[in-house]
Amino acid sequence: MQERNNYTEIEDFLADVSFQLWVRSKVDNQGWEEWTLENPDRAKLVENSRLWLLAMSVHHEEIPSEVIQGGLESTWEKINKKEKSSAEAKRSTIELWQKNWLKAVAAVFVFGFLSNWFYNNHFVFNNSESTYNEIIKDDYTDLVEQTNHSYKPQIITLSDGSSVLLKPNSKLSYPKIFTGNTRKVYLSGEAFFEISKNPKKPFFVYANEIVTKVVGTSFRIKAYADLPNVEVIVRTGKVRVKPNPSITNSKEKEIILLPNQALRFTRQNLTFNKITDITQDESFDHTQGNIEQLSFEFTDIPVEQIFKTIEQAYLVNIDFPLDKLKNCHLTTSLNDQPLPEKLKIICKSIGNNTNYEMNGNQIIITSNGCN
Amino acid sequence: MKSQIQNIKNTEDSTLWSSLKAGDEKSFSILFEKYYSDLIRYGNSFSPFKEKVQDCVQDVFADVWIYRQSLSNSVVVKAYLLSSVRKRIARLQERDYIFMKTSTTDSIEFLFDFSIEHQLISDEESALKVAHLNSFLNNLPARQKEALYLRYHQGLTVEQIAELLQINYQSANNLLHRALLQLRKEWKGNLSLLLLLSSTTF
Repeated sequence: MQERNNYTEIEDFLADVSFQLWVRSKVDNQGWEEWTLENPDRAKLVENSRLWLLAMSVHHEEIPSEVIQGGLESTWEKINKKEKSSAEAKRSTIELWQKNWLKAVAAVFVFGFLSNWFYNNHFVFNNSESTYNEIIKDDYTDLVEQTNHSYKPQIITLSDGSSVLLKPNSKLSYPKIFTGNTRKVYLSGEAFFEISKNPKKPFFVYANEIVTKVVGTSFRIKAYADLPNVEVIVRTGKVRVKPNPSITNSKEKEIILLPNQALRFTRQNLTFNKITDITQDESFDHTQGNIEQLSFEFTDIPVEQIFKTIEQAYLVNIDFPLDKLKNCHLTTSLNDQPLPEKLKIICKSIGNNTNYEMNGNQIIITSNGCN
Repeated sequence: MKSQIQNIKNTEDSTLWSSLKAGDEKSFSILFEKYYSDLIRYGNSFSPFKEKVQDCVQDVFADVWIYRQSLSNSVVVKAYLLSSVRKRIARLQERDYIFMKTSTTDSIEFLFDFSIEHQLISDEESALKVAHLNSFLNNLPARQKEALYLRYHQGLTVEQIAELLQINYQSANNLLHRALLQLRKEWKGNLSLLLLLSSTTF
């Protein structure tokens, strides 16, 4: 304890555990109080050190012991999982070595041929399912995952007002609320995106091996885990696509797509193929949904008709007061807008306390009629 | 005396560590319970995503157990754990940065703020001083702040800090030294200002 007699600087005190204890918890095992008072010069130094330490405090959020125990349990689960998978890997190698040498070689050849055939014909199913999981895992935000188990497309509205029409057997992961300078979502399967414009916060779709970046447009992405190609088809605006460097080592550079252009990424040889006019390419005929074929250019059209078009495009039900809106006609262009934006514009144009409410694929319009 | 206290703590840790290495689950649990909160708090100062941090800390412990036989005998357990958590979070964020195309892949940022122990300050003048000092501390570069935190809160030595931040001893020393130098400058200026203020009021 004689050490402290040689202390000359504030940091000498700061680093002293027993001094810390005295200042922070008032536990004075070493007689600091007395020692300080022995010498007035010392007292000043001690007081300064004390203030420094008080300014350097760390807010301790107590973690309850149940939480710690819970953490310990999940850690053991992790250990078991990891040990199991490494043990399995080990066992299979041992077994292979125990067989006689020729058999093993034969097996390797047969396996090689089979897997080659399988790869060419069926693509690697497991691998691509794990690509989705892999990209999801790297994200820091808490994501909502929505899978469309039904037999018809499902509408999803994102926190920024964008809408996504998700095809059956497809899933989309997205944050409940977009934070930070980017908007990121993850797709496995097929969906039609209508993104609300915000150049300050670019919108990214991660789908299999590719990343699609937009600021506000509409486009379709087809990225099924078990299909050999990934496709991006643009309806309006400008879309940028590039390979996802953490998933694939494809050498393709970022390319820009304009309306009616598309990109096909061949997963087997990791190449991009740009289609400059999808109307000339038969293979895209079937990929278009209602939504791309319907026009949202309305010139003096009854509101009832407009709602019908929206119902067909997004496969939603719209409930509206028919008697009040019977004689209402609108002229508007809604091609480039996400669904919430379309509804907002329509309601505003009708005026007169017209509002909409959206609940899944059920939309309710309330109105007192048009002006 | 101070070194004695630390020694006791370290012996405990190193005994636990070696029995853990020999496969003793009890020692593993004790170390887990002892350091889990600290590591979570440290991790949270790099990332706002608490679940990810929890995952990282648990992964660090899981790896300690799985690879226990290949771990070194002579580690300072606390420093080793802090450093492993930091590395793991850095690695995760680096991967995330590839997506975002930013250039800051080199290291992660210590986003943490020092607070004030209000209940231990009785008079107004000290309160004023401490508040000034605190805001100055929190405006220091993230790395200097982290060095201060590791030195005066986690009680790591300069060598351990250097190792953890993956810099050499001299750089670690400079980090601390520069932070304290700045503080002292500010402190002096601030003091004379305070004196001036109090003298004019009388």
